[in-house]
Amino acid sequence: MNDLTPAIEVSGVRKAFGQVTALDGVDLSVAPGSLTALLGPNGAGKTTLVRIIATLSRADEGRVRVLGFDVAAQPKQVRARIGLTGQFAGLDDGLSGRDNLILIGRLAGLRRRQAVERAGELAATFGLTDATNRLVRTYSGGMRRRLDLAASLMARPALLVLDEPTTGLDPASRQQLWTELGALRAAGTTMLLTTQYLEEADRFADFVYVLNHGTVVASGTAAQLKGTGSLDEAFLALTREGAI
Amino acid sequence: MTIAIATEAPTAAIRLRAVRDSGLIAGRNLRVLRKNPGRMLYPLVQPLILLVMQVSVFGNLALAGHASGTVGMSYREFLIPGIIIQNAALTAPTTGLALLRDAGSGLADRFRSLPVSRAAVLAGRLGSDAVVFTVQAMLLLLVAAPLGFRVHTGLPGMLAITGVTVVFGLSVAVLSAWLALLINDAETAERTLYFPAIAIAFISSAFVPVGYLAGWMQPIARVNPVTGAAAVIRSMATGGGLAVPLLELACWGVFLFLVPGFLAARRWQSQN
Ligand SMILES: Nc1ncnc2c1ncn2[C@@H]1O[C@H](COP(=O)(O)OP(=O)(O)O)[C@@H](O)[C@H]1O
Ligand SMILES: [Mg+2]
Repeated sequence: MNDLTPAIEVSGVRKAFGQVTALDGVDLSVAPGSLTALLGPNGAGKTTLVRIIATLSRADEGRVRVLGFDVAAQPKQVRARIGLTGQFAGLDDGLSGRDNLILIGRLAGLRRRQAVERAGELAATFGLTDATNRLVRTYSGGMRRRLDLAASLMARPALLVLDEPTTGLDPASRQQLWTELGALRAAGTTMLLTTQYLEEADRFADFVYVLNHGTVVASGTAAQLKGTGSLDEAFLALTREGAI
Repeated sequence: MTIAIATEAPTAAIRLRAVRDSGLIAGRNLRVLRKNPGRMLYPLVQPLILLVMQVSVFGNLALAGHASGTVGMSYREFLIPGIIIQNAALTAPTTGLALLRDAGSGLADRFRSLPVSRAAVLAGRLGSDAVVFTVQAMLLLLVAAPLGFRVHTGLPGMLAITGVTVVFGLSVAVLSAWLALLINDAETAERTLYFPAIAIAFISSAFVPVGYLAGWMQPIARVNPVTGAAAVIRSMATGGGLAVPLLELACWGVFLFLVPGFLAARRWQSQN
């Protein structure tokens, strides 16, 4: 793999759940070091695609390569290199924040001492130091999200995949999360994130794919899409039908 | 991709990794129990209540001395091993329910997205439940002594009884894991997994010798592993013959670990 190899390369991916076609031939590519947004209304197929990329689910057709590895043929290689922040927090409510981080770090392959150290570091980065010994059950929505993101970062993944990380957060928490994602990008982490919010894709993403009904309906930098009016147009048209 | 194949870890390392991961998951389960002690009430307190109640209500009945399996034994000595095994059977569904709780949370996706052996979540759950079953069996033996249960074989007998109870409980737990994942809905599972547990506890020689059961129950009771397990414990306590019931129980144990175990692991993997 060299600098030009895409971090994620999706080609011709289809996936159906019974009668429902969730992905209907998706092609996309994520450049190393970029923050790429997958923008789409509810039901567009964002989670389905993220789960295939993260090796949680298999495509019916098509190929996905992540950091040079085929997700179907080499899932372990992929898992060892990515971090996933799923649509629902991957945390144990019955453990403290610190114990969650240590467990996930160790399952990701860290030694105990490394995991303890890294957990302390990340708790500080994400403003969770005071809450770190409390059970996650007592955390607010924003704290959960931050802890979940911290958990995905325990093993310093080369690629971070985030499924609607800001959905359900109040504006202040959302702002804080974006500050943290910005810092990660500055540190060189490649990110693919899904969102329903047009303005997030516009403000933060290097490259945007607009997904609807399981297909990519527009793609480009936010400026390019806006220049042609297609970002607003495409997305508003989609959300209008998708929202109701 | 040749480079990728070359970096594939050797098999022994993968196995070691699976053991380590299972240990980590088991440790996590036990830590959750420690931090949420209320969750221990069911597996550790309810069995004691059942033991005391059942012995206090039924313990003074007398069985005809010649009834099979009761020769030279008071009814309490017959009944208490049955209660111990009944409790293991009634605790086993908690394994399936806990696994289903994990499967339904975002945590399952987190585990699956990590380079963790896929059997580790199931194996780790069984590992932590082994600890719960052990403590449960020891508590029951401790309380059973003043209620009239004498282990004539001393400490080795007690340890053997604990071991048999744990292995029996775990093998039923494997079955509950598969059933829970098959049902795939926490609420339904909570309301149904206890049916088979109650049934196998009663359609057996746990409380009375097989010959005293309703006619339709007797053939089922004879092959029921609860009957075998209770018989093993009775023999272990009195120092009686073990070979036949132990062999029977071992066959059941191996069968339950392998078949529902395989099905449960496959079920856990295939959830997408
Ligand atoms: N496990 C599943 N079973 C059946 N249908 C599903 C399943 N997962 C997703 N779908 C369907 O696939 C489509 C895409 O869903 P999803 O990927 O979750 O969209 P998004 O994340 O963009 O909201 C939806 O119509 C959804 O109902
Ligand atoms: Mg989604």
